[in-house]
Amino acid sequence: MKLAERGILSSHDYHRHSTRALIAVMTLAIAAMSFSMLYPIAVTFLNSFKSVVDVNSFPPKLLPREWIWSNFREGWNFLKLPIFMRNSFYIFAGSLVVTVLAVGGAAFALSKLNLPYRKAIFFFFLMTLFIPPSTYIVPNFVNLKDLGLMNSYFAFWLPAGASAFNMLLLKSFFDGINNEIFEASRIDGASNWYGFTRIALPLALPIISTLAIFLFSSAWNDWFWPSLVMHGDNHYPVSTAIYKQVIAARGLKLNVKFAILTMVAIPPMIIFLVFQRFIMRGLHLGGVKG
Amino acid sequence: MNNAAASAGPPENTGSMLSRIKKYGPGYLFLVPAVVLFVLFLWLPIVKGILFSFENVDFVKGNSFVGLDNYRTVFQDDTIGESIKNTLYYMFLCLVIGFWVPILFAVAISEIRRFQGVFRVMAYLPNVIPIVVLYGLWRWIYDPVGPINAALQWLGLDPVMFMTDPRWSMASLVIMETWQSFGSAMLIYLAAVLSIPKDWYEAAEIDGAGVWARIRHITLPSIKGLIGLLLIMQLIATSQGYQSQLAMLDGGPVNATMTYGLKIVKYAFTSQNYGVASAMGVLMFIVLGVLAVIQFRLSNREDG
Repeated sequence: MKLAERGILSSHDYHRHSTRALIAVMTLAIAAMSFSMLYPIAVTFLNSFKSVVDVNSFPPKLLPREWIWSNFREGWNFLKLPIFMRNSFYIFAGSLVVTVLAVGGAAFALSKLNLPYRKAIFFFFLMTLFIPPSTYIVPNFVNLKDLGLMNSYFAFWLPAGASAFNMLLLKSFFDGINNEIFEASRIDGASNWYGFTRIALPLALPIISTLAIFLFSSAWNDWFWPSLVMHGDNHYPVSTAIYKQVIAARGLKLNVKFAILTMVAIPPMIIFLVFQRFIMRGLHLGGVKG
Repeated sequence: MNNAAASAGPPENTGSMLSRIKKYGPGYLFLVPAVVLFVLFLWLPIVKGILFSFENVDFVKGNSFVGLDNYRTVFQDDTIGESIKNTLYYMFLCLVIGFWVPILFAVAISEIRRFQGVFRVMAYLPNVIPIVVLYGLWRWIYDPVGPINAALQWLGLDPVMFMTDPRWSMASLVIMETWQSFGSAMLIYLAAVLSIPKDWYEAAEIDGAGVWARIRHITLPSIKGLIGLLLIMQLIATSQGYQSQLAMLDGGPVNATMTYGLKIVKYAFTSQNYGVASAMGVLMFIVLGVLAVIQFRLSNREDG
């Protein structure tokens, strides 16, 4: 038997009586997990096709009795989804630009420019990781108010550049790039700016993609903080709008509600399935460092 | 961490002040935006939070110093004790219901030979769905006439009021959150389990160790450090929890899900009492600071 093909169990174990029970239990557990992962998601999709009577019937049936597509049109007209989705996209795009330029620039300088005191400076950034966010959520809000950033996208864009975690990810990526490329470009007379924008950033594209996915998912998912900072119907990102106008709404038909939830859940799911590779890598990088 | 940068380049302490500025000045410019943003949006609020905790925050008339009044208010509020108890209960439930789940499935999925990727994606899928969608979805799942109660009825059991029964409400939230978030922890454990050298198992099997013994004496000890680290991280995260309590139940029924974090939010954004809310934040920071230091030491050990 080849070593590479075994895990905890060897092929030998599959034929042993005592381990068969254990394998059966494990298989059952995984089957239960698969079911409990997929059932709620399937229910969200399928409920959005049901009629009002169908979705409220007890006990609930999985499949709709008849497929009613107009729920989606009704949901689309119920609230201004395109505007909210566009707002989320604004928040995402601006955060990405600020992250790449401010955080990326600092990570590059700390990693590649041999600056004196770089360790102390890095520590200044890193220290903020140890301060639990909910302990300063209130002064943070008052601070944004003092700075006059209420109801402005800058309230999301600028703080995006104050992420020690993203700096850690970028810096450890830059640390892995060979110094000689930068030395060579410097000898050829290239500036640090050239080194950053033309060498470091293109090389860092994989990690930037990972960061982009994280930033997209937080722009798409955050509902509480935007609900404090933004007011007025036209400024909410999509999750805040859904929370205020759909989850908290009374009298909205359940099937239409599910149709709206489905429409909001689909874009991030597609992005996840397409860019899976980058997300998994981000988890590995981020997981251990916290 | 700086090895790569430190090993190259000339020694740093050469030349006069002026030539050093000329040499490193442009380099420091790269740091300016990040330093400004960190000061404005992290350090400033943190310092302000400490100041506010001694002040009466008033947007119209301006802030005034009130000494320890805010802290006195916190200690005299009877519901604070209850909210601390709820928070501890929430942390406890997250450990009992949620903490072991990703470890179990990481070990189980690591043994799958074919289509392992499918199971990974499946476990992580709920992480991807916007949390507000899950709030809507789980309200329906927990409904008195929802699918779980239908299953209970089919089994001949009494219906459970998952949301409105104070004995169940917190546990219901924890089950929902575990379902939603176990996938990311599972993937981290899975990477660690898969990196354990296979010949250790081979050697153990030759020595007669059963499957259970292999898991207990090889797999679990190999990921022990990671388990400790994720445990601390979970404690830090759950001690601050308030979002699903707020969104699903608004702290109810009868304050059964009113956590300390939610109490801060209520003081600030319902009662507009930012001073007291800041004082609560400072108190929390002091407690969590201890946990953060432990996490730092553990994660340094993990890095080797």
